[in-house]
Amino acid sequence: MIRKITYTIFLSIIVATLILFFVAFPFGKNKMGVGKYYLNNDIKQTGAANVVTAVTLDYRGLDTLGEVTVLFAAAAGVSILFYLIDQDKKKRERQVYPNFIVRVGSRIIFPFILLFGSYIFIHGHLTPGGGFQGGSIIASGFLLLYLAYPGERVNRKKLAVTEGLAGLTFVVFGAIGIFTGAHSFLFNFFPKGTLNMLFSAGILPILYIAIGFKVGSEFAGIIDDMMCQTVCGGEK
Amino acid sequence: MRIFFGYFLLYFGAAFLFLGAFGLIRLPDLYTRMQASTKSTTLGAFSSVLGVGILMPHWFVKCLVVAFFILLTAPVSSSALMRAGYKTGVPFDKKRTVVNKGKEFFSEKKEKEEGK
Repeated sequence: MIRKITYTIFLSIIVATLILFFVAFPFGKNKMGVGKYYLNNDIKQTGAANVVTAVTLDYRGLDTLGEVTVLFAAAAGVSILFYLIDQDKKKRERQVYPNFIVRVGSRIIFPFILLFGSYIFIHGHLTPGGGFQGGSIIASGFLLLYLAYPGERVNRKKLAVTEGLAGLTFVVFGAIGIFTGAHSFLFNFFPKGTLNMLFSAGILPILYIAIGFKVGSEFAGIIDDMMCQTVCGGEK
Repeated sequence: MRIFFGYFLLYFGAAFLFLGAFGLIRLPDLYTRMQASTKSTTLGAFSSVLGVGILMPHWFVKCLVVAFFILLTAPVSSSALMRAGYKTGVPFDKKRTVVNKGKEFFSEKKEKEEGK
């Protein structure tokens, strides 16, 4: 009984605070200082039509580098975990194999998925979406292939090389910024171009393409690790 | 004429989508429900997207691409789902099932594979 009363009191306090908060800051009005700054100066300073991309890659590019690193650490952790499990457990046999229709259908759809994913990360500075989303879509294409062809695997060495090169591209383009203009890491040194064109916003599209490749290969590696728990062809 | 045809396709698709939803509620077991909810939905989504494309000529190519992908993906996924359901032994509706062709088909296939 006492517990119920305390729950009710706490819940009503939380609800009251939320209501007061939303009354004090109505949606879409009274923008905070930083948000106002981004919205007003985005096009002048970065040339990106998508303000979210301008924030994540230009104003807070270092955070994005950190995010990519976190993702890399997570992928490595998954790989290590499944390697340790592999040592002491037998692989489970797969009961149902995919039929002809699924195999042919996935083979037709796979290139379109790759095309769509790369479209999303190449146009990251113009339309919603970007490197992380495009990379995830590409990895989902790989998942489809794994489901349709259980005996086959991706080449892990090539994946690792792609991932490393993409990360290197990001860091190199950031480091070039140190030697030009503002002497800061990830400085947007390329010409801004005209708004809403594919070749605009300086180095942002290049960075997003690098992130797209990196995220795609990392997720494909995670999917490979997980699918290998049930069935696994080829060499590790 | 064009507007009439576009609206006709739209309502045709909407009717089939409604029938699919209706069948999902009314039919007795997994297999018949799958048939109602995938076959009629494929046709319904296909024709309503084409109807939108005919009503809005500057979207026509986009709508054609969307319709093509619906035709490509929906039947494949539904066949895979149905097959997985059959192989894992989801029960039939015992009172109303008349023919079970899948039994013969899968047993023949197994013999062939074992013979090889």
